[in-house]
Amino acid sequence: MKSIKLTWRSVVVLLALVLLGLTLASKAPGQAMHYERPVETAPQPEAIGGGYVTPEVQKPQPRQYWLQVLDVVLLAAAMGISVWLVLSQRSRKWVLALTVACLAYFGFYREGCICPIGSIQNVALALADPGYSIPIVVTAIFFLPLLVALFFGRAFCGGVCPLGAIQELVVLKPVQVPRRLDNALGLLKYVYLALAILLAVKPAISRDFVICRFDPFVGFFRREGFAHMMLFGGGFLVLGMFVGRPYCRYLCPYGGLLSWCTRLAKRGVTITPSTELDCGLCAEACPYGAIEKMRAVRKECFYCARCYAACPRETKSGAAI
Amino acid sequence: MSEEITRRDALGKVVRGTVLLGFAGGAGYLVKKANGQIVWQVDAAKCVNSRLGEVGAQVCTLCTSECVVSQSAVRAVNNFSKCGRCYICPAYYNIKSAVDEKGLPSEKLCPRDAIERKPIGLIDPEDPANNFYEYIIDEEKCDGCGICVKGCKEPLGLGSIVLKVRYNLCVDCNRCAIASACPKDAIAQEQVKEALEIEGAAKPVT
Repeated sequence: MKSIKLTWRSVVVLLALVLLGLTLASKAPGQAMHYERPVETAPQPEAIGGGYVTPEVQKPQPRQYWLQVLDVVLLAAAMGISVWLVLSQRSRKWVLALTVACLAYFGFYREGCICPIGSIQNVALALADPGYSIPIVVTAIFFLPLLVALFFGRAFCGGVCPLGAIQELVVLKPVQVPRRLDNALGLLKYVYLALAILLAVKPAISRDFVICRFDPFVGFFRREGFAHMMLFGGGFLVLGMFVGRPYCRYLCPYGGLLSWCTRLAKRGVTITPSTELDCGLCAEACPYGAIEKMRAVRKECFYCARCYAACPRETKSGAAI
Repeated sequence: MSEEITRRDALGKVVRGTVLLGFAGGAGYLVKKANGQIVWQVDAAKCVNSRLGEVGAQVCTLCTSECVVSQSAVRAVNNFSKCGRCYICPAYYNIKSAVDEKGLPSEKLCPRDAIERKPIGLIDPEDPANNFYEYIIDEEKCDGCGICVKGCKEPLGLGSIVLKVRYNLCVDCNRCAIASACPKDAIAQEQVKEALEIEGAAKPVT
């Protein structure tokens, strides 16, 4: 390698170049101004003159209150329709229509917020922290589906909940998950519920609303979201083609609360011992493993009405399954 | 058999009644505590870009980078009743840039060119410096980076530009991502009425 020799001549030339550059730079329009604020206060229309009127500040309004109340009314109505369609009309077709409608409204139009699932955290926090309160609308959205579950079971899950609906529509070729595995995985949702409540009632600085943060489908509803959450949600949808509603069965913390309430339910989907054929077609048709030993397991029943559609008695005479 | 069923039914009724009472109690407590609709809003007195006494050259752009919607639900708002209508606005121009032949700074401050500048009132065509100017922030272009907010802060400006949440874009996340990231806790939930009041961080107009 050739070393560079620093001679006197080159040093002089370099210095001259630097000096020339500096003079040029100071001559060129490179100087910033010395700025000082010209006014002490805002000039008012009289001072500005020329008939000037101070314009309004742009203020987009939040969603109006009556529209939020409408959400509660629609939620209640949709659950009512779900109960009526499943217990009285016994129509899979109409339940499917309700599913699509609720997915469109609560999912894609309302963009998944607010939902009873996420409201668990706010309710828990509002109960635990005297300084935190939630709007009446949120209280209603949290309690309504639980109330319905106390009397009729998980009508909210079937066709009303947008997270359930999006999974409901992708069920393609469901496999029956082995009972033991199904039960074991089902415990996960209680762990998640406990974790979510624990994190929500922590002091503000370390508080986290994990249910909302890890909501797998809200990104689809908003048509934008973090890449990892979109992948997570997409994964659930692909899995959901073969395992019916995996989020609802194994992770949904609100599903845990609903299934507790459903144990006390007065009515629900029932298989009548006197009229059944023991053919097992309904159990095969249920993608969620909610028919066990020819009996409906209400706390796992998602009110989808597939069993009616599969029942030979039902289609022939309209008799009960 | 039938007796057993009735006993079970009775027990079920009792348990259901208890749960219902529990629900009613919980809901009643929450409703009593409730105080109307709350929304997220930026507190200009806390935001590092607008609060006084906050030194440091760095502009905090977390409102742009953290928001979950693609165009941030936070945008800069010029509170016209506090705006100085300066000929050379330190939020519109980059006053550190070189001066051009007209005597104005050659660069604009906004990276998205979202601020519109126009002379208002009685216009003096001879001397542009003798006019008042209105600075309107284009909501479509603004993504709430806060650079102009910092530029308008006292003592350079009058602090008329502040960051505010726009409720047409805000999806009202349960846990606002910007609020979680904000170093000064400047985003908090407020009553709608308070949230819609636009106040600058600077002293009130006299």
